[in-house]
This record gives sequence, structure tokens and C-alpha cells, in this order.
Amino acid sequence: MDRKKFINNSGRLVLLGGLAYLTGSIIYQRKVSASGKYVWQIDPFKCTQCGRCATECVKDLSAVKCVHAYSLCGYCDLCGGYFKPNTHKLNTGAESQLCPTGALNRKFVEEPFFEYTIDEKLCNGCAKCVKGCGSFGNGSLHLQIRHDLCQNCNECSISRMCPSNAISRVPIETAYLIKGDFKKPAVSTPK
Amino acid sequence: MNRKVIISILILLAAVIVALVVIDVMNSRPDKRPDNPYEYSVDQFKSVDSTLIKYEETLDFTFGDLVLRGIAFANDRLYLVEDNFLVIFSTEGKKLAKSPLPESPSCVAASSNGIYIGFTNHIAQYNLDGLLIKSWEPLGDSTVLTSLATQDCFVFAADAGKRRVLKYMTNGELAGSFTGKRDSADLHGFIIPSPYFELAVNSFGELWVVNPGQHAFENYTFDGELRGFWEKTAMTIEGFSGCCNPAQMAVLPDGSFVTAEKGMVRIKVHKASGELLSVVAPPEAFEGETHAPDLAVSPSGDIYALDFERKMIRVFQLKK
Repeated sequence: MDRKKFINNSGRLVLLGGLAYLTGSIIYQRKVSASGKYVWQIDPFKCTQCGRCATECVKDLSAVKCVHAYSLCGYCDLCGGYFKPNTHKLNTGAESQLCPTGALNRKFVEEPFFEYTIDEKLCNGCAKCVKGCGSFGNGSLHLQIRHDLCQNCNECSISRMCPSNAISRVPIETAYLIKGDFKKPAVSTPK
Repeated sequence: MNRKVIISILILLAAVIVALVVIDVMNSRPDKRPDNPYEYSVDQFKSVDSTLIKYEETLDFTFGDLVLRGIAFANDRLYLVEDNFLVIFSTEGKKLAKSPLPESPSCVAASSNGIYIGFTNHIAQYNLDGLLIKSWEPLGDSTVLTSLATQDCFVFAADAGKRRVLKYMTNGELAGSFTGKRDSADLHGFIIPSPYFELAVNSFGELWVVNPGQHAFENYTFDGELRGFWEKTAMTIEGFSGCCNPAQMAVLPDGSFVTAEKGMVRIKVHKASGELLSVVAPPEAFEGETHAPDLAVSPSGDIYALDFERKMIRVFQLKK
């Protein structure tokens, strides 16, 4: 085979390989997501509450919001995600509250239970309450990217800065990873 | 303007732009970003006055990569439950026996009568060599057993799922249950926001139940009548914090309580009346912030802490 033929054949081979890769990846993506659409989302079990969701999002007020897994929560009067550490009184006074924007509200249900809700117009996704809830409560408060607010950038600016790689693209069919429904993948332990 | 000057200005401008881009890129690296302005910090509560620490760590037994569940002390032996085995150790850490368990256990208690192992919704009785004697009747789907205690002919079980204490005869017959005091303004029954619900019978035969959602210790008769209680909510060393603390508890021979907390992990000793007596292990002695070590106490007052993070039993003794 002369040199010219060799180069031609090699070029065809590379082109064919590229086409095969492209076709394969499209088929794989179709398999993973029926609609072929992906959105950014936070894995609540990987999140380390670093605060960057509040500061790195391209939106003025971050598209990341705190959500509450109601099925996990005891709604107690001692909520570690609601109160500042060692607060003097367990009341709803602003000086007692942990949230820097006052976005976490609680409503009395019956002694000693409260319902906790998040005002998304105020929540900046700082995860302060998430850290408090996870450390001293049962971890029912966690962060999620709200898709009605997220611009679904090609490269999520928060994802770029996330120290725990908690943000990734997920199929739009499972756009939210809410604790309770979404469980931490089991890790097998050798006996 | 001189062409040379224009070119110089353009080169300078280009250099400035390149420098700005480089600085921006460098500062955009994750490790170059400013500290978290929303940091949730409880560091100020982690430092402990060293004069309060009256115990020292004298021995450790490590277990490799096992899923540990609970620990008990009786007859000069340690009874450890892991996924899915009961392991019996001497106090020096020598493995004496190992028996398979049918499923993942959640808690264990031991006395001279035998070993009682709590699974999610039932109890099984084993002899002191780790052989199954009898598996007791299951309690239903929403039951979550988290703690066991034995006294003479009774076995008490804490059911976090149904927020109740169960009283069994040692033959497995269910003799009663109670859900805690409710008819007073400051008592609300057992408040169990997460599956941490402890009980113990002390050497004087008193049943003490932790009400974790209230940071309270409640003393009940064996028939479920409240005899007394104390509670202390504080993030400082004198009290308990978070939704569900103390998460683990054991009683010393003199009736004082050894407590372990989750969130800010620490082990302390409180008098039976509630005052802080001493610190066994401060927060800096532990890794992580989630798991409170399970506790067992020997008749001589040595404290055995099952450290779930480091996968070891840590032995604490009073300083000489």
C-alpha cells in the first residue's frame, strides 16, 4: 500500500469511528433519558453545605433552594435547622433564627410540633439550615435546584465550584432528588 | 500620534487584559474562593474545660470494616452486635465466640440470665455462649426497636417507631407498654424525631427512659407511672442539643448517667439528678458529627464506647 492510500484509509477509519461513537452516545443518551433532556441537580447525600450555591449561581438570587422532606421530619420544637446554636429561647423571634434571610418559617401544629416551610422568594440556597438540620436533626432539609428558576446553563457555574461534585446532569424525568423518595445508594461492606 | 506609541499602548492594553483574565481564572479555582460567608459553626461549643475531663482512654479494640450496631457488658464480657453476627469479647479485647444472626440487629442487652438482641421489630434471646434460645413474637411493621434493658424477670424495650416502652417477661411474654406522661403542660409523651430512643435500669432497680425530643431523663415505675424527670436543653457542655439527644445512654454503678450525643459528639457523666459531673470524651476525641457511640458500663465503672466512625471499642477509665 502506498503512502497516499494509507493516509486515505486511515482518514476514512477515523471518520467512521467518530460516526460510530456519535451514534452510540446518542443511543445511550436516549436509553437513559426517554426525552433526551437533562437538567442540573444536586445529590443531597453528596452535598457538604459549603455555601457556594448561594454565591456562585449566575442568577441574582440563586436557583438553588432549600426543600423540606416532610416524610422524614419530626417537626420538633428544637429544630437545629431553624434555631441559632444555643439560642436563648426556642421562639420565632428573629434573634433566634438561623436563616440569614428569614426564609424558613414555622407554624404551630400541636404541642410540641411545628410545620417548617421555606419561602423561596427569600431563600438564597446558603445551606446554613441544611447544615444545622443534618448535624443536629434528621437531615430533612436539603438543597435542590429549582427548574422553574434554573437557566440550565451548558456548564453550571455552581457545579464548577462544588467541592464535593454533588451537582450533575440528571434525566429530566427524575429532575428532583428529594430525600425520602431518593435514597443514598447502598454501599456494600465486606464481611 | 506616533505609530510606535499607539502600538506600545495596544501592547500594554493587551498585557493588562491578559493579566486580568489570568487573575480571574486563578481566583475562580475552587480552592481560591473566599471562605463560606454562611458557615454554620458550633466550634465555640466544642472546646471543653480540661478540668472537667476526668476520664482517660486506656484501651481500643478495632474491628476493620464491619457494620457495628450495639454493645453490652455483663459477666465480665463484652457483647457486640454487628451485621449479622453476635461477637463475644473479653475485657482485654480477645474474641471468645462469634454467632451468626438471622438479620441486621439494632441493639443488645445482656445479664447473667442471657443475651437479648433487638432486631427492627422483634427480640431474640440467646444464651451466654451466643446460641439462640428463642425468637420472640414480632411487633408489627412500624416498630423500630432501638434499646433494651434487663432487670430480674423483665426485659424493657424502647420502640422508637411507636414511641413506647415495652415490658416483657424474660420468657418473651409481652407484659405491658406505656407511651410516657402526657397529662401535664410540660410533658408530652415520648418525642422521637429520629430513631434514637434509649432506656436503662440502674443498679437500684430504677427504670430510666430518655425522652430525646425533650432532652429529658424520665424515671418510670415498671408499670409506666412517672416518678420524676429532669431535662436540660443547652449546646454548652451542661446540657443536650439538637432534635434527639442524648442519643445513647448507660448507667454507672452509683446511678449516674453516661451519655453520648450526636451532632456534636461527646460523652459525659451526669448525676442522677441531672447536674453535669464530668466529661468522659470531648468533641475533639471523635471524627464526624453524626453518630453517637453506643455505650456500655462495667460494674467497676469503666466505660466502653462503640465508635461507629472509627469502628472500634474505646475504653475510658477514671483518671488516677
